[in-house]
Amino acid sequence: MGATVISSANAGSNMGKELTIIVPVKAAVPNITAVRLDPVTHNLVREGVPLMLNPYDRNALEFALRLKDKYGGRVITLSMAPPSGKDFLESTIGMGADEAYLITDRVFAGADTLATSYTVAMTIKKLFPGFNLVVMGEETTDSTTAHMPAQVASWLSLPYLYYVVDGEVNMEKGTIKLTRYLEDEGVYEEFEYNMPVIVSVYKDSNPPRDISLNRKIQAKLSGLVKSVTNNELKLDPLCVGLRGSPTIVAKIEDAKPIPRKKQIFKGDPREAAKWLIENLIKEGVIKP
Amino acid sequence: MSSVKICPEWPQVNKSEYKGVWVYVEHRNGVIKDGSLQLIGKARELASKINVDVSAIMIGHNLGDLVKEPIYYGADRVIYIDDEALSVYIPHIYASAIVNLVNKYKPEVVLFAATKRGRELAPYVANTLRAGITADCTDLDIDVKTRDLDQVRPTYGGNILAHIRTPNRRPQLASVRPNVFPTPPRDTSRKGEIIKESLNNLPKPNGVLLGVKSVTRGDSDLPPVEKADLVVTAGRGVSGPEGVKLLIELAKALGGTIGGTKKVTDAGWLPTDRQIGQTGKTIRPTVYIGVGVSGAIQHIFGIKESKIIVAINSDPNAPIFEYADYGIISDYRQAVQALLEVLRSMRKPS
Repeated sequence: MGATVISSANAGSNMGKELTIIVPVKAAVPNITAVRLDPVTHNLVREGVPLMLNPYDRNALEFALRLKDKYGGRVITLSMAPPSGKDFLESTIGMGADEAYLITDRVFAGADTLATSYTVAMTIKKLFPGFNLVVMGEETTDSTTAHMPAQVASWLSLPYLYYVVDGEVNMEKGTIKLTRYLEDEGVYEEFEYNMPVIVSVYKDSNPPRDISLNRKIQAKLSGLVKSVTNNELKLDPLCVGLRGSPTIVAKIEDAKPIPRKKQIFKGDPREAAKWLIENLIKEGVIKP
Repeated sequence: MSSVKICPEWPQVNKSEYKGVWVYVEHRNGVIKDGSLQLIGKARELASKINVDVSAIMIGHNLGDLVKEPIYYGADRVIYIDDEALSVYIPHIYASAIVNLVNKYKPEVVLFAATKRGRELAPYVANTLRAGITADCTDLDIDVKTRDLDQVRPTYGGNILAHIRTPNRRPQLASVRPNVFPTPPRDTSRKGEIIKESLNNLPKPNGVLLGVKSVTRGDSDLPPVEKADLVVTAGRGVSGPEGVKLLIELAKALGGTIGGTKKVTDAGWLPTDRQIGQTGKTIRPTVYIGVGVSGAIQHIFGIKESKIIVAINSDPNAPIFEYADYGIISDYRQAVQALLEVLRSMRKPS
């Protein structure tokens, strides 16, 4: 495993022609039906919750690794997470990433998508100024906003494209051809962009390779996951965490279903079919 | 205005300067997306609560008479940009054009239909304005006193509804799931103001669209799930593509369409654009018939606005029966075949 360990925060400064792909990932909450919310801020209580790699981020990482397989270069994952996030970042190295960065600081807690994207975008700008691509999952399974790729693009004033399924790099021209799929229109579109560009990967594309346990253990032993705090990043505390978040969760409530008739028929299927059709006719929703 | 310290990356905003409710109206091949029309209806309701106007925003090239349509559906005003540079959809260019309009007119609310393109555009627009945004709302209200938009969205699997607010920033942006609000009637006698704006200060395109191709679908003779009045939905209890075929037959006999749970589309028995539920589509048909659908909360989330819910399942303890108006406890094959027979005998010419 020829993973190069980058030890300083100036890692990006000597970047040359090598394709550099950044894959920001999220520690998603595995069982979304058993979460605890803070009674005051209504934010998710992350302490004591086991973290897993957001499933769609694995498709994004696969897309990045396929580009690396084809064109060389390196793939770096990063994530804003509590200190316990080291383990799931080791999984990204187990899948094939060269190195990983854990962005962790109390000051980043309670962030909405604007503050999170600011933190992620500024980290990329500081640590990897010569990057070519930022690749993200289509959305997360726990909060499902799909905001992050566009917001990171906006902070960095770069073009972006969602739902990408395939990419073809031309390092000499510094361009990338991207194919994306718009599920609701049933349409594929092909674009050509100058790099750097920010993309999100369509969740039903690029089925991820397995996580190599050997590589994951290697990552732990060699310390391939680096921690970065705000001591290094020096972001204005007014722009991150709760204070850098314009939105607030004002109230939460249980989703209440519409009252239903709950008439249940058990017995001969023929009788059941007649009973159902009669009722649907009575409701005026099918014609006799 | 109190001078609360804010992030230096954020512009100071004077909330009282921001007035009006905007809907970004998405269109494709000369047709406006249903989700956008539905939002005009909702925007009307919000705007009348705080006594402001509804404006529809349209951008593109060769728009022609399409710019009149939002008026027919309830907008007071259409603000549009028609420019050759917009003939190709490039996300950051479209988003930047919208940002420029917002900066000029200062609306207090900007709504996007949460289509694939809408979900791509809205966060870039919001972020560039350093404004708050809420994704995939299923309901909206407005606080008459504070003029804060109450943005309701299901979260953590759909069993919790979060009410999101942006008390200190303007505008307030939200993307809204298609089909959670009805489409207002089209009234061609309605009158409104139509304003043409020009394109300026755009970033370099940095990208070109090389081509667009449509994919053909095997089930393309049936309407999409979000358009049909009756949707037969296959769940995991339907044991494979053959079972799905039987349900397609039932859907056709009832004049409806076919959909599936995540398990069914994940298994490849139906294309993913027929997936119903939190990570798929929200539908509000007159009749929903779930066959072999257990009723996971993520699926219920996408069907709970249906007028009538029918469930067919062999497991009497399936959670879906809790949400059903009519339920049949039976092997699905027997029940569906019996339904097909009853329908055939009913419709036999006498």
